[in-house]
Amino acid sequence: MSDIIRRMKDLPSTHLLGTGTPMCSGCGALEALHQIYDVLGEKTVFVNAAGCMTLLSAYPFTPFRGSWLYTAMASAPAGAQGVRDALDILLQQGRLPSADDLQVVVLTGDGSAYGMGMSATSGALDRDLDFIYICYDNEGYGNTGQQYSSATPHGAATATSRGSRGYPGYKKDLFSIWAAHRPSYVATVIGSEPLDLAKKIEKARDMKGPRMIIALSPCPTGWDYDPRDSVEIGKLAVKTGVWPLKEYVNGQVVHTRIPRERPPVQDYLRRQGRFSHLFQAGQEPSLVDDIQQRVDDYWKEVV
Amino acid sequence: MYRIRIHGRGGQGIKMASRVLGTALFRSGFTVQDAPKYGAERRGAPIFSTVRAAREAAEGATIKERGVIHRPDLVVIADDTLLAVPAAGTLQGITAATVVLVNSRETAATWRHRLNLAATLLILPATEEARDRAELPHIGATCAGAAACLLGVIEPAALQAAIEEELAPLGKEVVATNSDSALAAFDAMAAHRGLVTEGTAVSATDYIPPSWVELPVDDASVAAPDIRAIANSVQVRTGLWRTLRPVIDYDLCGKCWWVCSSLCPDSAIAVEQDIPVIDYDHCKGCMICVGVCPPHAIGSVPEYLAQQQEQQAKSPGEHDGRDPADR
Repeated sequence: MSDIIRRMKDLPSTHLLGTGTPMCSGCGALEALHQIYDVLGEKTVFVNAAGCMTLLSAYPFTPFRGSWLYTAMASAPAGAQGVRDALDILLQQGRLPSADDLQVVVLTGDGSAYGMGMSATSGALDRDLDFIYICYDNEGYGNTGQQYSSATPHGAATATSRGSRGYPGYKKDLFSIWAAHRPSYVATVIGSEPLDLAKKIEKARDMKGPRMIIALSPCPTGWDYDPRDSVEIGKLAVKTGVWPLKEYVNGQVVHTRIPRERPPVQDYLRRQGRFSHLFQAGQEPSLVDDIQQRVDDYWKEVV
Repeated sequence: MYRIRIHGRGGQGIKMASRVLGTALFRSGFTVQDAPKYGAERRGAPIFSTVRAAREAAEGATIKERGVIHRPDLVVIADDTLLAVPAAGTLQGITAATVVLVNSRETAATWRHRLNLAATLLILPATEEARDRAELPHIGATCAGAAACLLGVIEPAALQAAIEEELAPLGKEVVATNSDSALAAFDAMAAHRGLVTEGTAVSATDYIPPSWVELPVDDASVAAPDIRAIANSVQVRTGLWRTLRPVIDYDLCGKCWWVCSSLCPDSAIAVEQDIPVIDYDHCKGCMICVGVCPPHAIGSVPEYLAQQQEQQAKSPGEHDGRDPADR
């Protein structure tokens, strides 16, 4: 696993994550997770907050090749601290050869990462915990029927924002919140861009300290589209500029993909049932314009 | 009390069917309990929902039973491909008193021959052909409408009001098309109106244990699943979720395995000597690979057709895709 990934052909051809998981057909989060796991390798221990991915390891089955710890929704980083400490003590006492050390990986959804688990994460970052945090962000509480979370984008319909204007809030900028703690690494990824993802995970794998990954995860069930469109919608999220691919390293934010010719955001929005009310007759166009404006403003700052 | 179980696949509106039926029964003076199976509600995966309905006057205002219905009075099967899937449990607890309604393109005689059940078996003729069975149009509403007629205690007006109540958030158009489907199914079942009889109250004392075969108890290391085994989720065959099957045309395949094999969410495309190979035991049929394949070498085939072809290939001449009863 020490090869450097430069082009598509260098991507892992052996898949480590077991098949037969209960994730939905076309799951964007599982797509990202299996790619991440292929790069991280077997010497990992996953600490999983409650969410869709909890169902991965439902007794007696698991797709992982190593250990898995299940925590309450707000406390996965605290669980990771315990696992890391235990490994460190075993290493110190010589009871665990350093070759058998494990990478501690937190796996949570956006409900935990953007919301109720944020305080525990902030604490782990303060303590400079040596771990990787993977947030699969499907922009809502997907496992319980897609209620809105603080990752839900403006205007999206969810089970708890059914009105004609959708969710009134704006997606929280978790990347900046995490980067403000000055951890070793923060990156955004998406499963539909496997090369960009693999390069970032490879970089994170070989670092120490807190390494934070946010994977936008197109969700056929929660976003209301045909499962076959998961990759296309993911690619549109990047092309239209809705999901910037970037990383924070050595105190700098670097965009790994700058879309020069951005198609209008409605190309992305129209593909998803959760935004269909924005395009119905009688709807004020200002909602789509507002979303476009915010994307334009973002990239004005970048370029 | 009526006990009704509705089987289908995630995405067909089976939960909606139980809600509509439950609300229609409630509007007809019943105390009602309706619930979908929790935890497996994934598109294409076998799921079911249940409805219990008790007459208030006869049994008081409470239903004390909970959970899965083991002795159904009515079983509605929205997707006949599930009958061949043991994990779907469509036939669980069916007795001579049960009415089984199957949405199918085949005849009741065919299914009676195949299943050999003591129950009354009816067919809800599949009028619209959907290539992808996860998208059978309005099948949830159709099942609710047919079930309402078979129960014989729901008037069409109550059925329509229930659909309006349950589907209102989805807009007027959705309400209209679903109520048309439900009422058409209600009318189609007119000859069998009131066929379903209410089951008697169950109690612990008259519980009949299922007839099972006693097996010698193995040592725990053998009998208990090994939770320390790595990646043992491969024992779960998610391939049965599939309604469409991706098929690689190896004459067109460009051997760019890093595209389909990386983008398959389920790790169900293995790479064998630079050639992608689809694992049909686990492929859930999301069809992402079909869309992303650069040389368009992956096509899609309806799963039931693919299975028929496999059968024919296994024993050419013996099977022509039909049952002996149909010939």
